[in-house]
Amino acid sequence: MTFLELSRVVFSYPRKMKPALTGIDLSLDKDGVTAIVGPNGSGKTTLTKLLIGVLRPTEGEVRLEGRPVEEYSLAEIGRRIGYVFQNPDLQLFCSTVAEEVGFGLANRGCEPAYVQEKVAFYLDYFELTAYRDVFPLYLSQGEKQRLAIAAVLANEPEFLILDEPTIGLDACRKKNLEDYLKKVARLGSGMILVSHDEPFVDKMAERVVTLANGRIQSDSGRKVNAAYEA
Amino acid sequence: MKLDPRTKMVMAICLSSLALLYDTPDRLLLLLAATVALLLLFRFNPGAVWGYLKPFLSLMLFLFVIQSIFSPGGAVLLAAGPVPLVTSQGLSTGASVVLRIMVVTASAMLFTTFSSRDFILGLVQWKVPYELAFMVAIAIRFLPVFRDEMINVVTAVQLRGVELKKVPWGKKTAMYRRLFFPIVFGAMLKAQQLAVAMEARGFRAYPRRTYLRRLDLRRADYMSMLLFLSATLTLMGADVMVK
Repeated sequence: MTFLELSRVVFSYPRKMKPALTGIDLSLDKDGVTAIVGPNGSGKTTLTKLLIGVLRPTEGEVRLEGRPVEEYSLAEIGRRIGYVFQNPDLQLFCSTVAEEVGFGLANRGCEPAYVQEKVAFYLDYFELTAYRDVFPLYLSQGEKQRLAIAAVLANEPEFLILDEPTIGLDACRKKNLEDYLKKVARLGSGMILVSHDEPFVDKMAERVVTLANGRIQSDSGRKVNAAYEA
Repeated sequence: MKLDPRTKMVMAICLSSLALLYDTPDRLLLLLAATVALLLLFRFNPGAVWGYLKPFLSLMLFLFVIQSIFSPGGAVLLAAGPVPLVTSQGLSTGASVVLRIMVVTASAMLFTTFSSRDFILGLVQWKVPYELAFMVAIAIRFLPVFRDEMINVVTAVQLRGVELKKVPWGKKTAMYRRLFFPIVFGAMLKAQQLAVAMEARGFRAYPRRTYLRRLDLRRADYMSMLLFLSATLTLMGADVMVK
């Protein structure tokens, strides 16, 4: 079943003559890993921001499970779609690393013991336990990236959008992230990966959509990826 | 109309000073009209002023209500038994506060009609120390950055599933206070990083600075400054005499 859908979407930033995206038609299922690739400025991040309703299309429509994205509040979308920004600084706002990871769960009214358990798990998995009481913006770029991913994953969303998730990660941490995302995908969560990291995309993606100059240049369609074979 | 940045600074200071002095809605409304007319003269889109004011609408409404209730005097327009709730004086004070914010914001828009380079150059030619001028220019340049950061944080919070509009008022204050802290802290970090980057590029390496360009005040600048300063002083004097 189609989870996210863009129909004849055009998007222009204010005071820009050339649209950032033109004539985008794209359907994404609730499961499966789709990579969006393309050169800098091809419109990848803009496309993902349209999907979560942070940006509104100039023309066309974006739908989430058949309903226009405009009909949902950002919080409703956020509870269903986890979004990792390209720049982790933009999404870290708590006073400590532990609070950052548990923020979503705590604000959804989860039991404190459950929140603590989840926080401990994600801090451990992403090797952030030593920084649990540190102010997030004091972390290095790679640590911030891991924290941003951990904070989104801890929210247990149905679908993930990760914009350049491997930036700043060393080979070992990249492998950890890859393993975790594969596990999430095997459990049935869909995801979009925006990345320039070709080896990572090759290992992860079942479908590759290539953007160029604000248009879809190619769409491989969904293919079997051995990584998700039982 | 092309004027020197220093002339525009004088205009903005004159308009803001009058806005702070005036306390009746009719005069503040006239001042706002004059400020908007001036912006139009400099080909500034008044819609952009509205864009800047929009985020402060709830604050302005709050101030209007508070001032209306807590500024007694004049005819009682609404009362709860013997306690007057809204008076004509209260409404007048409330409207004045809102109009004052609008005039100060609109006059500050004059600073956006020239570059930060020209701003620094103008102040330095007025013998303001370069470091001080640079500091003020950086502070002005960072204002939109803070606004964007606030928007980013609010978006990020909502994307973690928090319905900000549905948070009860008591908790909302605590939530915004918590969000404000990382923004202020982040700003301090940015300032530290900026200082390091500037020193790395030789900021203050030499005691004397040279400038490629010079700003020159023309006849129109002198006339405009004279007109604005004399008009402001006259209006201020008249206001003091009347009071």
